[in-house]
Amino acid sequence: MKGKIVKYYPLIPVYIAYLILFLIGINVSGMWQLVAMLAFYCAIGQAFNIFLGMTGYVDFGYVAFMGVGTYGMALSISHLHQVQWLGMGIIIIGLLLALVMASLLSIAVGAVALRLRGAYFAIATIGVNEGFRFLIEGAKIWGGSEGIIFSGQLTQTFGRETASLLSTLWADIFLFFIACIAAFITIYYMRGKIGYALTALREDEDAAKVMGINVTKYKIIAFITSASLAGLVGASAWALKLTYVFPPQVFEIHYTVECIIIVLLGGAGTLLGPVVGGLVYGLTKYWLTVIVPGFQLLIFAPIIIVIIVAFPEGIVGVLKRRFKGTTFKKFII
Amino acid sequence: MKGKRLLGMITFCAIFGLIFATTNTLMAQKVPEKIIIGHPEGMSGTYAKAGEQAIGGVRACIKWVNQTYGGVKIGGKKVPLEYKYYDCESKKEGVTSLIERLITVDKVNVVFAPYSSGLTLAGTPVAEKYKMLYMDHGGASDRIFQQGYKYIVQTIGPGTRYHMGTLDMIRKIDPAAKRVAMVYEDDEFSRMVLKGAEDHAKKLGFEIVFNRTYPGKVTDLTPVLSDMKAAKPDIVIGGGHYEDGQLFCRQMGDLDINVKALSLVASATLPAFHNALKSLAEGVMGPSHWEYGVTYSVEGAKKVNLGWIGPSQDEFVKLFKEALGKDVIPDYHAAEAGAQVLAYALAVEKARSIDPTAVRGALGELRFMSFYGAWDVDDTGLQVGHSMVDMQWQGGKRVIIWPPEAATGKLYYPMPTFGDKAKGKMAVPK
Repeated sequence: MKGKIVKYYPLIPVYIAYLILFLIGINVSGMWQLVAMLAFYCAIGQAFNIFLGMTGYVDFGYVAFMGVGTYGMALSISHLHQVQWLGMGIIIIGLLLALVMASLLSIAVGAVALRLRGAYFAIATIGVNEGFRFLIEGAKIWGGSEGIIFSGQLTQTFGRETASLLSTLWADIFLFFIACIAAFITIYYMRGKIGYALTALREDEDAAKVMGINVTKYKIIAFITSASLAGLVGASAWALKLTYVFPPQVFEIHYTVECIIIVLLGGAGTLLGPVVGGLVYGLTKYWLTVIVPGFQLLIFAPIIIVIIVAFPEGIVGVLKRRFKGTTFKKFII
Repeated sequence: MKGKRLLGMITFCAIFGLIFATTNTLMAQKVPEKIIIGHPEGMSGTYAKAGEQAIGGVRACIKWVNQTYGGVKIGGKKVPLEYKYYDCESKKEGVTSLIERLITVDKVNVVFAPYSSGLTLAGTPVAEKYKMLYMDHGGASDRIFQQGYKYIVQTIGPGTRYHMGTLDMIRKIDPAAKRVAMVYEDDEFSRMVLKGAEDHAKKLGFEIVFNRTYPGKVTDLTPVLSDMKAAKPDIVIGGGHYEDGQLFCRQMGDLDINVKALSLVASATLPAFHNALKSLAEGVMGPSHWEYGVTYSVEGAKKVNLGWIGPSQDEFVKLFKEALGKDVIPDYHAAEAGAQVLAYALAVEKARSIDPTAVRGALGELRFMSFYGAWDVDDTGLQVGHSMVDMQWQGGKRVIIWPPEAATGKLYYPMPTFGDKAKGKMAVPK
C-alpha cells in the first residue's frame, strides 16, 4: 500500500505549485488573469508532454486538437442554450463534446500518421491544423469562416453575473483541474506498463518491437490521451473563457510551437518539467511585456536559446541530476 | 418635552444628512490629477503594423488634448491625459491578462481594445467584469454589439457599412447600372462586408447577379472570375486582403472583364496596389474608414449641425509623425484610434466625471465631428455616425470621391476598359 502511495510522491511538488498559483490568483488583486495564463501554459505543456515527452515524436498539428475542443464547447453552448432544463449541463456537455471530438480527430490522424516515424511523422502532422481549418471554412460547417460568437447566448442562459463568472473565473478553474488530471495521468503512465513501453520505444523503437512491445498500441494510447486533454484545454481556455471562436485563431500553428518550447524548457518526459517550463515561459514573457513593451520577443528569444543551451535536458532534467541520491529525488521526476 | 427632543433629533438628522450629502458630492466631484488611457495593443505578431499605427494615432491625439486643448475640462480644472500601453503580441491570452493589469495595477480610467474583432472580443469579458469602459477602434464586426455588452463602444465603422457608400454613389450618378456582382474572400470580416453590401444593394434596387466567396490565400481567381464574367455585371465589388485584391484586378484584366465600376475592399486603398498594378489600377475604387486628404473641417461640421473637436488633418499628420518618430503618413488605423481619444475626452467633459459608467452613458449621447469624420453610437455602442470614404486611383493618385463632405475630387466613371488601361490610359476626369 505504502509503495503505491510512494510512487505518486512526485505529484506533490506539481500540485503544490498549482495550489500556490491558485491562492495567489484568488487572494492578490489583479493577478487572476495572469495566473490563468500561466495555468494555460502549464496545462498545454503537461498535455503535450504525454506524447512528445514520452514517445519522442513531435506533433506539429497539435493545435488542431485544441481547436476542435474549442468548437465542442462553442457548439454545445450555441445549440443547447435554448434547452432550459439542461442549465449548467451545457457546460458539462461542452467539455464532453470537446473530449470526444478531439479523441476522434486524434484517432483519425493517428491511424495514418503514427505509421510514420521521426521527421516523417512531424511532416505528416504539420498540415492537420490548416487542413481542419479549411475543412470548416470550405464546407461551411460550424459557422464556417465567420466562426461562432456565443457571449450573448451565455448571458441569456445564465444571466450577466453568472456568465461573467463562467468566463472570468470558472473557465480558469477548469484549466487547473485539467492540468492536475494531466499530471496524474502522466505519473500513472510513467509508473506503469504503458510508461515502460513508451520509454522503450522512445529510446529505440526497433529494439522495443523486437522485445515484443506493441509499439503502435502504446503510441496511439499516448497520442489520444494527449489530444483529448488538448481538447479540454481548448474548451475551457478558448471557448468558455473568450466566448467566441474564429477558425484562424484556434488553428494557429504558433500554439504548437509554444507547447514544444514549454516542454523542452522544463524537461521532456519529466513530470515537473511542463510546470516549470510553463511558468518560466509565461512569466518571462509577461514581465518583459510589462517592462519593455514591443521589444519583449527580441529579448525573450535569446533567453530561451541560453536556457536550452545551458539545460539541454531541460531545467528539471538538470535538477534531477543535482538531487540524485538525496531525499528530494523521489519528488522530482 | 418629548416634542422638543423629537424636533432636536430631526434637526440633528437634517444637519447630519446635509453634511453627509455635501461631503459625498464633493468627494464624487474630486478632480483627478490625471486621466489614464490603457491600451493592450499588438505591437508584434499578426497585427503589428495596425498596432503601431493605432499607438501613433492615440499618442498624437493625447498630445493635442494636453497641449492645444489644454487638457480635459472636469470640475473646473483641466486634467491631462496619460497613456499606458502594452504589447499583447496580437494574442488573445495576452489581451485578457494585460487588461486586468491595466485596470487593477495601473488603475486606468478607460481601456482601448486591441486591433481586430477577435482580440476585441477576447478582452470584453474582463472589461465587463470590472465594469470598465472598453473602446473599440479596430473591431469592425457588428456581431460584437449583438451580445448585450454594456461597456463597449465602437469608433471604427461596422463591417456591414464598408460598401454602402460605393453603392449609394453609383445609384446617384448612374441609375441605369443595376447588375451587381459580389466576390469576396471567405473570412469573418469579408463575409460581414458582403452581408452589409448585399442588404444595402437590395434596398437600393440593385440586382445581384453573382454572389460568391473564394478561399483565403488564393493564388488563382480565374475560375470564379470566368463565372462572374458570364453574369455580365455592371458593377463588381469584393476583395478581402491586399494579395487577393491585386490578383483580382490583374486577372479581371487577363480575362478582359470590363465593368463600369470596380471596388475592392482592404487592398485598392493601399499605395502598394498601384505600385504592383500600375495603369491596371486606374479607376479602381476602394472603401476606407479614413484616407489622408479627407476634407472634414469645422465648416463642414457646422453644415451638418455637429460640434468640432480635435486637430485638423494636417495637424494630426504632424503630431503622428512626431509620436512615431518616423516620416510615415497615418492610415485609417491611426485616425480611428486618435478619434477615439477625442470622443473619450468629450464624453468625460459631458459626464463631468471619470466614472466608466457615467462616461459610457455620455458616449451614448455624444455626436461630433473631427478630422476622422462624424461620430455617433447607438444604444448597443455600435458606431452609426461615421461614414466610410471611397477613393479611386486617378493618374496614379488616390482621390477621395465620396462622401461629398470629404471628397477631394470627382469620380471617373465608367472605369476605363482593361484594354485601354494596358495601353496606358489614366482615369483622370476632365
